[in-house]
Amino acid sequence: MKIWNFKTALVGAACAGVLSLGLAGPAAAQEGWKPTGPVNFVMHTKPGGGTDVMIRSLAHSLEPMIGQTVVVVNAPGGGGATQMAKVAASAPDGLTLAVNTVSHFTSMLTNLKGTFAPEDFEWIALMQVDPILFFAAKESPLKDMKDLVELARSKEGQINIGGFGPVGSMQNIGMSMLEQAAGVRFNWVAFESTPDIIAAVLGGHVDVGVANLGPVIEYFAADRLKGLGVLGDNRLSSVPDMQTFGEQGYTVDTSWLQVRGVFGPKGIDPALQQQIADAIFRAMEAETYQTYARAAGVEDGAFGPVEYTAFVKNIMTIAEEQLGAAGLLTQ
Amino acid sequence: MFENLALGFASFADPMVWASAFVGAFIGYLIGAIPGLGPSLGIALLIPFTYGMDPVVSIVGLVALYVAAEYGGAISAILINSPGTAAAVATAWDGYPLTKAGRAGEALTVSIVSSGMGIIISTAFLVATAVPLSEFALRFGPGEYFALALVGLSLVSGLSTGSPLKGAVAMFLGLALATVGLDVQTGVPRFTAGNPEFFEGLPLVPILLGLYALTEVLVMIEDGAAAKTKSVPIKKLLAVPMGTLLGLKMVIARSSTIGYIIGVIPGAGPSIAAFLSYAVSKKLSDKPETFGHGALEGLASSESANNAAVPGSLAPLLALGIPGSATAAVMIGALMVQGIQPGPLLFTKSPEIPYTIFASLWIGVPIMVFVGLAGARIWAKVADIPRPAIAAIVTGICFVGAYASSNSMFPIYVMVVAGLVGYVLRKLEFPLAPVILALVLGEMMEINFRRALITTRGDWAVFYSSPMTVILLLVAALAFLLPAFGALRGLVRKRRAT
Repeated sequence: MKIWNFKTALVGAACAGVLSLGLAGPAAAQEGWKPTGPVNFVMHTKPGGGTDVMIRSLAHSLEPMIGQTVVVVNAPGGGGATQMAKVAASAPDGLTLAVNTVSHFTSMLTNLKGTFAPEDFEWIALMQVDPILFFAAKESPLKDMKDLVELARSKEGQINIGGFGPVGSMQNIGMSMLEQAAGVRFNWVAFESTPDIIAAVLGGHVDVGVANLGPVIEYFAADRLKGLGVLGDNRLSSVPDMQTFGEQGYTVDTSWLQVRGVFGPKGIDPALQQQIADAIFRAMEAETYQTYARAAGVEDGAFGPVEYTAFVKNIMTIAEEQLGAAGLLTQ
Repeated sequence: MFENLALGFASFADPMVWASAFVGAFIGYLIGAIPGLGPSLGIALLIPFTYGMDPVVSIVGLVALYVAAEYGGAISAILINSPGTAAAVATAWDGYPLTKAGRAGEALTVSIVSSGMGIIISTAFLVATAVPLSEFALRFGPGEYFALALVGLSLVSGLSTGSPLKGAVAMFLGLALATVGLDVQTGVPRFTAGNPEFFEGLPLVPILLGLYALTEVLVMIEDGAAAKTKSVPIKKLLAVPMGTLLGLKMVIARSSTIGYIIGVIPGAGPSIAAFLSYAVSKKLSDKPETFGHGALEGLASSESANNAAVPGSLAPLLALGIPGSATAAVMIGALMVQGIQPGPLLFTKSPEIPYTIFASLWIGVPIMVFVGLAGARIWAKVADIPRPAIAAIVTGICFVGAYASSNSMFPIYVMVVAGLVGYVLRKLEFPLAPVILALVLGEMMEINFRRALITTRGDWAVFYSSPMTVILLLVAALAFLLPAFGALRGLVRKRRAT
């Protein structure tokens, strides 16, 4: 399998991003992004969700930089199709942009196959990466992933794992990767929001939950929940005791991360894409954005158009393999 | 606790906090009154304005906006039969008949006073029980949620008027509509005809607008520009005598309690609270036959319950970081931009936040009621607008409201179809309430039923091993069967008499 090693690429780029931001600052200011009208950010969610708050925080610091209003347009529905249709129909002038997560890629391989493909859009900037982790209630006998795998083996898969989205969702694929690496089976229980998963784990209705760090970090601090393992290259700095899957002996592809990125309609000039990405990365340095991002527990990404497009390609490859293995690919 | 509460009230020494409460209440009031918009949108829109603001100032404003917007839904429900949220549907049942009878001012006054009382009573519960009750609510697993949804659905027999058979047909129509969309567990599209627009199910707001408002417009057109009752102008501060309001105190106290408890359970929320307390009030009323024809009791129970559910939904949010409603989930985002992550440590780490929220709920209510009573005088005049103009305005609101719900055309098509279907149902004397009730509860019922069986790998014991599930299922069974027995007994008697 020809896979670009994103583990190092990601970390490298994150460091390089921080460096280049510092260096490229003045240059970017000279020939920065100067949109000719209000910029629309089309969202695939209702107002107020995690991603929506992220983009509104960003818009706040982006507006004074580009000298234009940034309008957040919520177009929920169709598992992202309503949003993608709006974006696909807009002019490639950089005035219509949109935000995506990994679910955009998984749905382009399943329910939206034939309707939209990554080639229909320009992938401009990767703003956030957010590894998934497995967690259990404080009272649970499970201490780490090894315990979980052992229990699943002894109970022949009778372990309930609650996570976001149906079979084939981002988190469900994360669980499948662990199943393959450890040679066990789990029982997937689909939920529609992370707080519901946390409530179900706290109430003892499922054995283990899957989430990103942000929503669960306070429960770790309050000693109500404990982390079993994180699907990533490195341990999370705020939960240093929680080992990665790899450290516990389960080798999975660690580029399977939740992401939040910016995309736009096909045909935006590459130079303009770079300008947009630079402007976004600079807006992310603002104090208001950093306050929000640290509270939300997400890590900043810094992939411009070239790296992000390659990243998307890689994500699509992994998703296709995993969905194919699970028999979920739409023919 | 009292120390912290004093701390909460002390924050109101800052005039900025008062200004924030006023602005929040005013914006919320307007946003809530426009069908298609709502508290979640209001809070999301206001978030960017809270950057750099003192956390206390911004939180007070957002809480005021939340409660006022939750109330605002009653205005369009009462005046033009357009409930913008499922929570305001029961308000329209009695509110709109009052408007048609020229008593819009009275209806608005009763609704704002009940809403205010609902919040005040519910906040008292919140201060006293937020932590223990939220911990208790965690015991609600999929089995319990399924049973709770079934209790809600069993209210159909109490809420629908006329033929029980037609009520049942309407309920099954609602349940059938609730199955459209991607299967939550497997992601398989159901009844979508390959069109991604249907993936997330039929959108609720356009269906509400279609079934109630657009259908009403069609009926108005049918009636023509015939004579209409002139509404009674509001002369004093209150449009109803104080005695009438005092007469509703038991209804309000009971409905507020129901509203708070249902609000605490994550995922239940204001709509179930309103339906449930409406059904209970109807059952306990001396004049159940007036319900649905302009009963002030019905109006008061719906409005006090759906507003009482607001502080209820804040209980698990503040105590555990788990939002009790969609709007409470948006509040988490609003708190996060202030660098506050709600969670189990909020009360110990930053007690000023929950206690300021408690204080602002109490202080915000008089402000909201004041804005509401002042507004009622203006709104009540809406009822005097000539019928052709009202029909045109409501149609416009339906289209704009449906479009605004997702910034696309699909909800408009849904709204128009729902309006036509609703008109046919009304002509055939099918009740519309069961359709909405089943549509709201169908998804919750199905998801939790399947989730329960998935976690036990098909073992049905999940539905009878927990006492809470058993009690809820028994309540549901009784609510379904008692009216049926009653009807059967009446039938037998009639047979014997002839």
